[in-house]
Amino acid sequence: MSSPIQLVVIGAGPGGYAAAFLAADLGMEVAIVEKETNPGGVCLYRGCIPSKALLHAAKIISEARHAEAFGIEFNSPKIDVTKLRDWKKSVVAKLTGGLGQLAKARKIKYFQGEASFINSNTLKIKKTDGTTEELSFQKAILATGSRPAVIPNLPKSPDIWDSTGALDLENIPENLLVVGGGYIGMELGTAYHEFGSKVSVVEMTPGLLPGADRDLADVLYKRVKGMFAKIMLETKVIKMETSKNGITVTFADKEGKEFKEEYNKVLVSIGRKPNSENLGLENTKVKVTSRGFVEINDQRQTADPSIFAIGDIAGDPMLAHKASHEGRVAVEAIAGHKVAFEPQAIPAVVFTDPEIAWCGLSELDAAKAGREVTVVKFPWAASGRALTLDRTEGFTKLIIDPKTERVLGVGIVGVGAGEMIAEGVVAIEMGAVAADLKLSIHPHPTLSETIMEAAESFFGHSTHIYKPKK
Amino acid sequence: MADLKLPELGENITQGTVTKVLVKAGDSIKKGQNILELETDKAVLEVPSSSDGVIGEILIKSGAVVKVGQPIFTLAGSNAPASAPAAQAKSEAKAETKPAAEPAKPAAAAVPGGISEMKLPALGENIEKGTVTKVLVKVGDTLTKGQNILEIETDKAVLEVPSTSEGVIKEILIKAGTVIKVGQPIFKIEGGATSTVIANPKGEAIPERTTTSVEIASSPKTAPRNDTTVSTSMSIRKDIPAVPSVRLLARELGIDIGQVPGTGKAGRISIEDVKAYCKTLNTSRPAGGGISVASQPLPNFAKWGSVRREPMNNVRKKTAEHLSNAWTSIPHVTQFDKVDITELEKLRKSISGTNKKISVTPFIIKVVAAALKKFPQFNSSIDMATQEIVLKDYINIGVAVDTDRGLLVPVLKNVDKMSILQISDELTAMAERARLRKTTIEEMQGGCFTISNLGGIGGTCFTPIVNWPEVAILGVSRGSLEPIYTDGHFIPRLMLPLSLSYDHRMIDGADGARFIRWVCEAIQQPFLLDLNK
Repeated sequence: MSSPIQLVVIGAGPGGYAAAFLAADLGMEVAIVEKETNPGGVCLYRGCIPSKALLHAAKIISEARHAEAFGIEFNSPKIDVTKLRDWKKSVVAKLTGGLGQLAKARKIKYFQGEASFINSNTLKIKKTDGTTEELSFQKAILATGSRPAVIPNLPKSPDIWDSTGALDLENIPENLLVVGGGYIGMELGTAYHEFGSKVSVVEMTPGLLPGADRDLADVLYKRVKGMFAKIMLETKVIKMETSKNGITVTFADKEGKEFKEEYNKVLVSIGRKPNSENLGLENTKVKVTSRGFVEINDQRQTADPSIFAIGDIAGDPMLAHKASHEGRVAVEAIAGHKVAFEPQAIPAVVFTDPEIAWCGLSELDAAKAGREVTVVKFPWAASGRALTLDRTEGFTKLIIDPKTERVLGVGIVGVGAGEMIAEGVVAIEMGAVAADLKLSIHPHPTLSETIMEAAESFFGHSTHIYKPKK
Repeated sequence: MADLKLPELGENITQGTVTKVLVKAGDSIKKGQNILELETDKAVLEVPSSSDGVIGEILIKSGAVVKVGQPIFTLAGSNAPASAPAAQAKSEAKAETKPAAEPAKPAAAAVPGGISEMKLPALGENIEKGTVTKVLVKVGDTLTKGQNILEIETDKAVLEVPSTSEGVIKEILIKAGTVIKVGQPIFKIEGGATSTVIANPKGEAIPERTTTSVEIASSPKTAPRNDTTVSTSMSIRKDIPAVPSVRLLARELGIDIGQVPGTGKAGRISIEDVKAYCKTLNTSRPAGGGISVASQPLPNFAKWGSVRREPMNNVRKKTAEHLSNAWTSIPHVTQFDKVDITELEKLRKSISGTNKKISVTPFIIKVVAAALKKFPQFNSSIDMATQEIVLKDYINIGVAVDTDRGLLVPVLKNVDKMSILQISDELTAMAERARLRKTTIEEMQGGCFTISNLGGIGGTCFTPIVNWPEVAILGVSRGSLEPIYTDGHFIPRLMLPLSLSYDHRMIDGADGARFIRWVCEAIQQPFLLDLNK
């Protein structure tokens, strides 16, 4: 066996490939072990990217319909599912292919297959071509990601989808039940709604998007309430059975009353689980928590000094951009730089229509920590730009420390919130105070002005809102 | 009645100036209650009482400098057993008065400036920072390895810095005039390995002792701690108002960002705050461990007439730092002698032509080179850390050169293998380069022994300072005719005064005398010196 490679990255999702690419750029000799032909991971193959392609298509349908309100009428759309699916696939192929090229250009050794640890410095790679190979390494980065969580004891049926199945867009069911009102369920649910499905949602907790501030989630709730066939909150799924037209689902509401409903398809989106099994971690010093996450320090190093872990396997939030950042931290730490994973704000975006985005401290966090905060909101009804879009249901809020006036958190709901939240992240990372946002000129007419005006209202005045003096 | 003494405030604090007395005579105080505000050299601290009782008399006042252990109040009616008030007082202030002059220990040993911290790929040994004089590339340029990207003025030379990587420059993080440190990011490069070159923590931007007092929470325990190491286990605290680049800088400097007081709005921590904090840590290092020359506050010179202030140039700064280090760490002895150079002068004049002048220095260099072979302890360095002596098998001699920028010491390498004529030529070229600022860093490194010839200016004797890490230096003054009593007569002889300073840790007095005698005798018999060997 040749001398150990400097770095092997296991899993080439947005965390893994970012890590591998940076390491190569820093002059390390790098290998990737990945199941797919090209880097990309869940995000590019079965997550962020294909879902955004479908959501874009859905948005066009929705906006075309909406245009009736101001006098532009279209015929109802004809959807060529095959073409739509192929287009989505082509987007994925283009992106992942490009990453493959980038890996090649950086002279990264690419092993297509699955890796497991023989010990703290050796991997066994079961390659897709059937052969096995041992690879000794100096450092490894675990970036194996996560997979959809499943409900135990479900019948085996092609009519029960996880997010991957829903993204495959094999057809557009007449009736679709979404189990789990989190962001994956809401994104795919709204997309299928626009494609023509009657969508119902069942969620165990009292609200959609558990984890997000209620006022943000409520705006989405109001909109989907009018779109979806049924939204069942505080309701559990007791049983699923295959039936004539698909799946018959038995529910129990909060009083425990049971009822049944039949759907053509059921999308189970109840969360994701880290892929920490079958990696031979027992042959290393790596420690895994009861929830399956790998324990890491600030440099993303595991209990085994030669092994680092990033992304979904390293803990919540399971977000691509968090993974990439961790990947870069891990590689720089390996390169001997003095770095740590210390973000002040990790943005979260739900790409529904309207979008919901937040970063930094949320009101929920503040309440949990018992921290005193001042929350200022700017309703989009007072935004000229929102009016021109005929979408005024959104709002922008800032969570501010009343003593220092520092911006601690930002929450936005409305069209384009996902793009706007970046300003919030920068503001928080830069330690901005409310006056900084107020005094920075924002372009008119844009939705970004709502951030500036929210900051103005912290000082008791805002150009487009009149508050009578107390 | 018992005295309440100033309790121990923290490991490195021996005294402070009272800024506020928080209690008054007659007050009943409780243990732990704040009684004083004290400004130490690190922070303004609130001093808690170490016992209960009623204050009788206040022995200090605002503005007074008090030492740990010094009585500050008299205390009556303390709740200690009445029979043993003295014992109580003793327990209150177990701290002994430490000599006030004792330098505080380094508050953070791993603070940069510590040379061990530096990764220095291209600039050379002992170079930790420099001032950017010119940026030779711009954003968008494609770099190749080895291409010159910056001109930097370091302590003793202007250097061109070659690129250590390839790629396209996305952002230039420094500019002309910036003081940069090895390890500090200079560019952002796309598609290439980033070169490693960090802001100077010693903060050239802060010429004087910063008067910022660091207000830290009431407990003295929260004063700058000793454990701000560069280890990766630094605390990650959310909610610290410092931008990512400042957090990174602090991390690179080995400073816990959570300890840095922010001066901006909402306590925002700026790069300057990090540097100032670093400076407060640096100024509390022992003398000789950095620029500690200005550690005493200066009087207001303007009281006596107008004054001007000029920034020190890099040569001056480095000289100050280097020589105070040498002076404080080396126990110096200077041995004086005189050598008869009458014969040498005849020889020198005979070989100096009209267009080629040979000075006396090359002869002295040649003799010293031979002496270093004879007395190897003079060609050594002391490694106190490992308790070892480093003996060198090569003979490189530095020669002090007076330039308009200050003192430079270029080094003649392997002088034992050079002839006197070669030494002479090389010396002339070297001195010329030094005056034209062309001396490279390499040319000033690797010396084993230094010669400083002030004879051209005059003077009878002087006490040169050993050029650390060398262990000896020879000073040459001006030769003069003296009547020497030989064979019953006074004969005029040209006598050259020599001063040999040496590190007494390494060299015993007798050896010092032997060395300089040997040198004198060799010079007195110049016919033994071969001009061409």
